[in-house]
Amino acid sequence: MADPARIKPEATPERATSANEERPNVKPEESDDVPITAKPADENKDSSSQDQPKEELKSEMAAGEDEEEGTSGQPSSKRLKVEPEKKKEKRQKVDEDEIQKMQVLVSSFSEEQLNRYEMYRRSAFPKAAIKRLIQSITGSSVSQNVVIAMSGISKVFAGEIVEEALDVCEKWGDTPPLQPKHMREAVRRLKSRDQIPNSKHKNILFH
Amino acid sequence: MADEEDEPGFDEEVEDGSSGVDVGHGKRKRLFSKELRCMMYGFGDDQNPYTESVDILEDLVIEFITEMTHKAMSIGRQGRVQVEDIVFLIRKDPRKFARVKDLLTMNEELKRARKAFDEANYGS
Repeated sequence: MADPARIKPEATPERATSANEERPNVKPEESDDVPITAKPADENKDSSSQDQPKEELKSEMAAGEDEEEGTSGQPSSKRLKVEPEKKKEKRQKVDEDEIQKMQVLVSSFSEEQLNRYEMYRRSAFPKAAIKRLIQSITGSSVSQNVVIAMSGISKVFAGEIVEEALDVCEKWGDTPPLQPKHMREAVRRLKSRDQIPNSKHKNILFH
Repeated sequence: MADEEDEPGFDEEVEDGSSGVDVGHGKRKRLFSKELRCMMYGFGDDQNPYTESVDILEDLVIEFITEMTHKAMSIGRQGRVQVEDIVFLIRKDPRKFARVKDLLTMNEELKRARKAFDEANYGS
């Protein structure tokens, strides 16, 4: 989830609105999964490289907002409400660590690795085609969130297959590009792990 | 073994039925060829993946979407696909579940941010 090219992907609503006042052109478009969720996604990616100098500003803002969630000396009746905020604070800190680690990692990429990483982040299924496909199956219209969710999991699904196929390829001593035999073996392995849905086979218990 | 790159015109016939992969959609126009190529490169394949591999992957993805849609139609509100149904179906797979949650949360944040931005603009 951490995107080193951007500063605060997990912006809370307060942060988002306060940031809007500063950089109205860039902040609203920030999204972790740029190609999938937001249409102005590509603009965001282009401007995100300019975001790095403003990084410290963002983390200061984050620190400033965290102090709203201080929890000392609260009566026990308020404790329950305060606990999730403590967890949120901790989660934000963990996210910040992860973001920094990702930044360090990406900054040390070679050019080929950068290309590949960019393709990994940017590639996505076209929403229109997915929507058309789902609607042709259901016969009725579907909401935008359904399309977003479905294209997201499809990308993860494609990734799982490609990764498994690369494992197969390496195991068989071949080199990429992947060949159909690798893909088929990958599918066979994933099927045995139940990661590929298949509702065509009916289990007849007694016959 | 099988000739991969030589005869791109015979994409559909090259995929044999014994693989267990559903190749019944062979005659349909390719929906995701360009995007899938970029995706395969991003996931670790060569910069120019084989067309046959891309086709196999496209068939798999379309089958996946079809299966999920059918399952989603059969649970919750019948005949309709809703986000809750998808989330329910994916609950056992940690990667996909986390991904859907992230995407939907991010989308909500973006919508809120855009709305706030538009209101700020409108006010000024």
